[in-house]
Amino acid sequence: MPKVTGLGEAVASIADGAHIGLSGFSIARCAMAFAREIIRQGIRNLTVSQCVGAMDADMLVGAGAVDRLIYGGGSLDRFGLLANVNAAIETGTLVAEEYSSLSVAFRYLAGSLGLPFIPIRSLSGSDLLARLREKSGSDVATVEDPFTKVRWLVLKPLVPDVAVVQVQACDAEGNSWIMGPKWDNGELVKASGRAIVIAERVIPADEIRREPERSVIPGLLVSHVVELPFGAHPTSVYREYDYDSRRIEEYVEAGGSRDAFRAYLDAYVFGVKNHREYLEKIGGRDKLESLRADPVLGY
Amino acid sequence: MEYTPSELMAVSGARELGDGQVVAVGVGLPMVASLLAKRTHAPDMAIVFEIGVIDSEPVHTGVGLADPRVWYRATVLSSFVDILGTLLHRGRVDVGFLGGLEVDRYGNLNTTLIGDPKGEFRHMVGSGGANDIASCAKKTVYIMRHEPRKLRESVSFITSPGYVGGGKAREEAGLAGGPSCVITDKAIFGFHPESKRMSIRSIHPGNTLEDVIETMGFKPEIPDTVPFTEAPSPEQLRLIREEIDPGRIYVG
Repeated sequence: MPKVTGLGEAVASIADGAHIGLSGFSIARCAMAFAREIIRQGIRNLTVSQCVGAMDADMLVGAGAVDRLIYGGGSLDRFGLLANVNAAIETGTLVAEEYSSLSVAFRYLAGSLGLPFIPIRSLSGSDLLARLREKSGSDVATVEDPFTKVRWLVLKPLVPDVAVVQVQACDAEGNSWIMGPKWDNGELVKASGRAIVIAERVIPADEIRREPERSVIPGLLVSHVVELPFGAHPTSVYREYDYDSRRIEEYVEAGGSRDAFRAYLDAYVFGVKNHREYLEKIGGRDKLESLRADPVLGY
Repeated sequence: MEYTPSELMAVSGARELGDGQVVAVGVGLPMVASLLAKRTHAPDMAIVFEIGVIDSEPVHTGVGLADPRVWYRATVLSSFVDILGTLLHRGRVDVGFLGGLEVDRYGNLNTTLIGDPKGEFRHMVGSGGANDIASCAKKTVYIMRHEPRKLRESVSFITSPGYVGGGKAREEAGLAGGPSCVITDKAIFGFHPESKRMSIRSIHPGNTLEDVIETMGFKPEIPDTVPFTEAPSPEQLRLIREEIDPGRIYVG
């Protein structure tokens, strides 16, 4: 079956209540077009995991699509906080399991290796651990190291149903290049049941085969390939385009307030039929060209 | 030469870093301090960012770790597992450099929430790599504003452990390292070797001991003699103002 599909079809493969892991970090390489389409299709009751909470997760939470968030904290860098995530935690409408960046990464790593659990030095002595023990006792435990007899904190593997990853380029099978730092994306994809890849460009397999050392995601783990230029807007994709400060500021102003965020969604999610209309709405070709990355700087 | 409290904080932070060290850094003043150290006394220091960046040489100020401006000219672009795992968790990070919302007298750091975690609270940022760095680095340095609501008898939430309840509590939690100092805009604090209580190390020129203590949420240990913090050099100020943070995004 061909893997290259439209965004709508890829998103429709996600069931209500699924656990999805998202590729964003703060305001970089966020699966924004994907999040907008999840909201348009009305997919709900999701569990979302992410090493550091980002704009894609925050938007899904703000739209009421998420029941449970497993993350290592997060922000929109200097633009602001994850206001929707924070508001949902404060009002108790979101079950948030808060870790550190490395502890979520280690949980993905354990998942990617098929290990039963993974020891970690982080979290001990913190209230993060105290809260995790209260909330989800089964995901953290201690064991004795059989070699040294030292007691270790151990974490359960984290195995999302679907990884959703925004990449620079891939081929039709989903063999994907991620340029720049990959944060948790490698372990996330390999821990997950399958991956949806959203690429700025789908390139010929021959091009991938010429430089296979750039591949981070093997196509054999990928169920859907979606070619979607500017799919991470208003966040950045390294070597492709910069973040759109004005649109992020607009998002931040709407965040955390039910009415203001609803108006934001009405304008940018429900008010447009698809990604193409969204790109027109945010300024079309001229605006997008102004965000294009300088090839030397990467932004 | 005139300087601002933030500039002195950045310079004081730089002085905590040594040549050849591996330093894990967050955004803001820690980044300014690290870049300053690297351009002065510590050219062979490696600065690492949790998302997978080693030793970048930014030419534009970024809005945070997610900004490709702070990845520019890195020697390695990799992942959390690479930086926080194979360097930090493996024990190869000499200094962790962190900011926070609140710190208590034992150096426990809060970046998660303000208020009562089981009642009314405002959720803020959470850990990111801060807990990992505070748990695994050989030592940590904090930079914070000097205000009673930031320097607290106890914090609302321990995101990143310092000396936990003091004495041997950190060791008993299975953790080595720990905070070595807290740099504020009025003073620099260390920690008493046994009690692990915060202790004044120096106060910044222009401040009095009374003012430093009155603007904190707890009374720190006060040694017999308290020196003034060394002022920044003209060259350090020039580097901060002209090269590292010309837009004064972090050094207000």
